[in-house]
Amino acid sequence: MSVLRFVVSVSLLVFLGAPLSGAQEPVKGGTLTMVVQPEPPGLVSAFNSAGPIGVVSTKILEGLITYDYDMNPKPSLAETWKVSPDGKTITFNLRKGVKWHDGKDFTSADVQFSALKVWKELHPRGRSTFAKLTAVETPSPLIAIFKLSEPSPYMMSALSGYEGQILPKHLYDGTDIPQNPYNNKPVGTGPFVFKEWQKGNFILLERNPAYWDKAKPYLDKIVMRIIPDASARAAAFETGEVLLGGFSPVPLNDVKRLEATGKFDLETKGYEYLAPLFLLEFNLKNKYLQDKRVRQAIAHAVNKDLVVKTVWFGFGKPATGPVPSVLTQFYSAAVPQYPFDIKKADQLLDDAGFKRGTDGKRFKLVHDFLPYGSDYQRTAEYLKQALGKVGIDVEIRSQDTAAFLKRVYTDGEFDMTSNFFYALPDPTIGVQRIYWTKNIKKGVPFSNASGYSNPEMDKVIEAAQIEHDRKKRKELIGRLQSIAQEDLPVLDLFEVRFFTLANKKVQDHTNSAEGVYGSFSGVWLKK
Amino acid sequence: MKDFLRRFARNRAALGGAVILLAVIAMALLAPVLYPGNPWDMVAEPFLAPGADPGYPLGSDMMGRDLAAGIFHGARVSLLVGIVATAVALLLGVSIGAVAGYFGGWVDDVLMRLTELFQTIPAFLFAIVLVAIFQPSVTTIVLAIGVVSWPPVARLTRGEFLSLRSREFVQACIAMGMGDLRIIVLHCLPNALAPIVVTGSLMVATAILTEAGLAFLGLGDPNVMSWGTIIGAGREVLRSAWYVCALPGIAILLTVLAINLFGEGVNDALNPKLKNR
Repeated sequence: MSVLRFVVSVSLLVFLGAPLSGAQEPVKGGTLTMVVQPEPPGLVSAFNSAGPIGVVSTKILEGLITYDYDMNPKPSLAETWKVSPDGKTITFNLRKGVKWHDGKDFTSADVQFSALKVWKELHPRGRSTFAKLTAVETPSPLIAIFKLSEPSPYMMSALSGYEGQILPKHLYDGTDIPQNPYNNKPVGTGPFVFKEWQKGNFILLERNPAYWDKAKPYLDKIVMRIIPDASARAAAFETGEVLLGGFSPVPLNDVKRLEATGKFDLETKGYEYLAPLFLLEFNLKNKYLQDKRVRQAIAHAVNKDLVVKTVWFGFGKPATGPVPSVLTQFYSAAVPQYPFDIKKADQLLDDAGFKRGTDGKRFKLVHDFLPYGSDYQRTAEYLKQALGKVGIDVEIRSQDTAAFLKRVYTDGEFDMTSNFFYALPDPTIGVQRIYWTKNIKKGVPFSNASGYSNPEMDKVIEAAQIEHDRKKRKELIGRLQSIAQEDLPVLDLFEVRFFTLANKKVQDHTNSAEGVYGSFSGVWLKK
Repeated sequence: MKDFLRRFARNRAALGGAVILLAVIAMALLAPVLYPGNPWDMVAEPFLAPGADPGYPLGSDMMGRDLAAGIFHGARVSLLVGIVATAVALLLGVSIGAVAGYFGGWVDDVLMRLTELFQTIPAFLFAIVLVAIFQPSVTTIVLAIGVVSWPPVARLTRGEFLSLRSREFVQACIAMGMGDLRIIVLHCLPNALAPIVVTGSLMVATAILTEAGLAFLGLGDPNVMSWGTIIGAGREVLRSAWYVCALPGIAILLTVLAINLFGEGVNDALNPKLKNR
């Protein structure tokens, strides 16, 4: 009897035994209509971390493990696993009887192929996550042994269906993987089978009758609608045309009105895995910003509470440093803080030698904002005002996403950006790229664009990569946070709180840190 | 001139347009006096309805910015963009039209095919493309609007020049050996001016609308507050705070209407055939 089936039967017993808890037995059948925005560029996440792909692909393809709210690993394609005492060997026992949607058996060869040929070589974060992975041994079709040159404790956080997606070797081996036609009609092991993709309109998935978790999935179909306009999405939710959407699918300022109708569940859980952080990147080549005091003055001049409350309508939490508080295992609040204090900011700028001119201005900076919507533009407008108060003249520059990424990460022609990063479950995967000297890479989006290089920081980062002892590693990451907050090559403003909006009919849509990146095998519709 | 003013004043609609237009111009001029602060400043509680707080008679937007200040300062931007963009369009259109109409022949053919090429592209879409390519700023927006709106002016000017070219006084100038440039600027242009002025005044209205449309689509200059910017930002809260969109919308409506009425009035007053209408 599989572990999961055991869990299901136990939870059923719990449900039956506690009728007052309000939990109900799942009902089979029905079609879940949801929105995915923007339209994904493909349907496979194994080598492309773009957000919307993850929403679709995780229903079709799976990873070795999955996670609960606290990022504890749970079985998925791997039933059990064992990490050797030196941390350099991880043995996965794979689930028996799992079949690809085309009928072929899922084996350890698929795991080997995906890890070495796809994640390690092609995935933007996988390249560093799996850098120490030297080989995957396959002594039997149901055993995959990961061999590492150094311990990589963070790797166990990167094996979900989104971050470490297993691809079918028989369809991908020997092909140009990013151009493989199956990227647009994926074949997976997951609870739903890809049926149709009408570009600009919808993606249709159907129930996988041969899913390894026999009772699941409960839904017959999932229709993922593509609706580019945020206000139109809000209207679609209201009419019941759409039942679910992740990543804050409706305008933030419309949420209160939708909530008041009583028809919807607003769920902010399920984004713990991504742990998105909104931050300002400073170009340390700028003659003003290269002075630490100027960066600290900017930190004092920005009212983070106001940004969260007014600009982001409360969908955030002021950040205290580079590691978001949802990463409970690593988060440290004991780092230098810069409370909102205009006088202090003025003082620091005076000390740095940038006195106010006769017009009250000290110097000018151009601000580029990530053009992901009106919330981002309003943040830029706020920053212009806030920094104007301390004599920094800010000019806002708007451009499309491609131009923004090229300007910041390829040309380095910027003064200051507002942007957001996924901190992800482990600082080595998500946070280090902002501060590590080796991540000053032209052309790599969302890396160290500030040009920050501090040998002490590099030492801490590199030690944390291979430290196997949990406690010692936590100390190293605490050190990382202190140095980052002292030097401020980027200013962490707030932890973005995405939300999932769901019609009350939709049950169990969020039950792990993966949220809408979950497989949805347990989602069901109330009649 | 007196005759013109009398005829203009007899047209009530035109007079009304002129009054509103003057009011808008006054708003633009008085903005820094009445609202000396920056219109982007977050001064009030967010989402104040108009009239809810006497300090902010027109209410505030989602960021707590004073809408009255925004609309007064917005008048400056909208009028400025309207006038400068029209000036750019007139400069391009009149030059091309004048040269084409005056010289005729292959010059006319080349320039008119070029004009037709521009005319076949929908003006607003073309403006979007230009602004998107050159990144939104007041300069690029003004240039983009100018570049997409010159063809009608060019055709109009060409028509006027074609007929002027064969008039006796122009022939006389040529016979006297006067230079082409001098004839165009000193003798033909003044005689073609009336219809150009009328078209130009109407173009200001179109330019204001185009700017508002661009800002609505997020292609406005993020550093200046125009009416379109306020509407674009307020669109998302249309269902809960309609006034954020409605107030600048009314301002645009009135201004564009006023300019049109004014332009029509000028046209009628300048047209001797309509003298006794």
